[in-house]
Amino acid sequence: MTVDLADPALYARGDPHAVWRALRRADPVHWQPGTGGPGFWSVVRYEDVQRVLSDHTRFTSERGTLLNLLGRGDPAGGRQLAVTDPPRHDRMRAPLHRALKPRSVQAHTGVIRDGIRALLPGRDRPEFDLAAVCGLLPLTVLGPLLSLPEADRPHLVRLALMSAAEEDPAVQLPQGPAATLHRAHRELFAYFADLVRERRRRPRGDLVDVLLAMEVDGVRLTPGEVLSNCYSLLLGAGVTLAHVPTAAVAELSRDGGYEAWAADPGLLAGGVEEALRWASPAGHFMRHARHDTVLAGVPVAAGDAVVAWLGAANRDPAVFAGPDVFDPARSGNRHLAFGAGPHYCVGAGIARVTLRLFFAELFARYASLRLAGEPVRARSTFLSGYLQMPVRAGFRGRGKEQR
Amino acid sequence: MDGGALHEEFIARDELGMSGPYVEPRSETERRLAALWAQHLAVAPVGVEDDFFELGGDSLLAAEVQVAIDTEFGVEIEAAAVFLAPTVAALAEAVRRAPDTAGADG
Repeated sequence: MTVDLADPALYARGDPHAVWRALRRADPVHWQPGTGGPGFWSVVRYEDVQRVLSDHTRFTSERGTLLNLLGRGDPAGGRQLAVTDPPRHDRMRAPLHRALKPRSVQAHTGVIRDGIRALLPGRDRPEFDLAAVCGLLPLTVLGPLLSLPEADRPHLVRLALMSAAEEDPAVQLPQGPAATLHRAHRELFAYFADLVRERRRRPRGDLVDVLLAMEVDGVRLTPGEVLSNCYSLLLGAGVTLAHVPTAAVAELSRDGGYEAWAADPGLLAGGVEEALRWASPAGHFMRHARHDTVLAGVPVAAGDAVVAWLGAANRDPAVFAGPDVFDPARSGNRHLAFGAGPHYCVGAGIARVTLRLFFAELFARYASLRLAGEPVRARSTFLSGYLQMPVRAGFRGRGKEQR
Repeated sequence: MDGGALHEEFIARDELGMSGPYVEPRSETERRLAALWAQHLAVAPVGVEDDFFELGGDSLLAAEVQVAIDTEFGVEIEAAAVFLAPTVAALAEAVRRAPDTAGADG
């Protein structure tokens, strides 16, 4: 079959799930020839996605992990957590993982909850753009962790979006997608350069301080490595978390499941996992074969790019019964929304805490949420989610809202 | 900063197909900055109107350059000057404007 998985329009206007479904059946290790550049393999089955992401001895992250870097390489390879292989990766990850453990972030729970309450519109604004509201959610969490001034957050969200969805008309600069990426990278690095300089003078005990103090094999990170990891933390949260609630609400608004889920507090945690599976906001991660290898019976040559589609794996009927049904009561939900293997999202714990807080507040405030217009999906091969979602909220009785 | 020993591994500027002509440094600050860029980028010679990224630089390298400039000149230059539209001429101007940190701890 002829499909172009590298075409961002597929994810904005097409039906990627139908494409992935067909590939899972007929061509699960799919080669897409390059047009003026290298081609790439795609894996769409759960088992293959998990294997490619987990097996760093066969598949390296150091030549870039996003499809928009295919054929260009990544200057941060070996220097930024997400694009560094073990064993160096593990030594960089450990201190960040410690700082992001639930116990470490418990101190921020109150701040996050207050932030969420401030984000959600009240009775005076029953119609609003849920995507815009959720867009600020990541910084509500990451802001305190990196001590980012509140006034800077909308700008940072925009720059993160430019970095992850450079093809989208909402953020693309007139000079084109490549210029959009460059501009966003450089502005973010400049921003973090000033932040880091400030933090060197006055440590705040935040994640920036963790990066500044980090030693890998007795050697501190270089200034470029510190900035690159700040950038990576912003992207990791900034363009993913927001898309989990919107994906869930879009589906639940269609099938009336919102009220049922909201009515059963016992389904909160499981429903969040289902929302993560459903949304799969990081649509893919790319690897490169280190040497000639065989993937599900298909020979893959040394140096070939392999793209693992998380959104496809999370709808694989071999692992999920009724994969195209949103079921907050789903059991044994081993979704891959946070990835798999050594690069499993370092912020997964705090993301889960945040999403549970978010849905609890959402359910407490709104008895119902209905789409009030056509939602708009991002034009991006990586970022899978909605950038606009007009909704109409039905509010709970005053007593319940206050609980 | 003795670049002489390394020059054989340097890429000649002419090979990069730069969009503008080579403009020679006009002041001591520009000369020192051009030498510092040449060291970090392994490109020579560096013209004062050349764009850092066009010369093959990336954001990580720009971060190293910023710190190197601060150290070499005893100043704190604005990050925007290094990361957005960086040329030796613009950085020389930024160094001139920057608050002096010589003697400060850091």
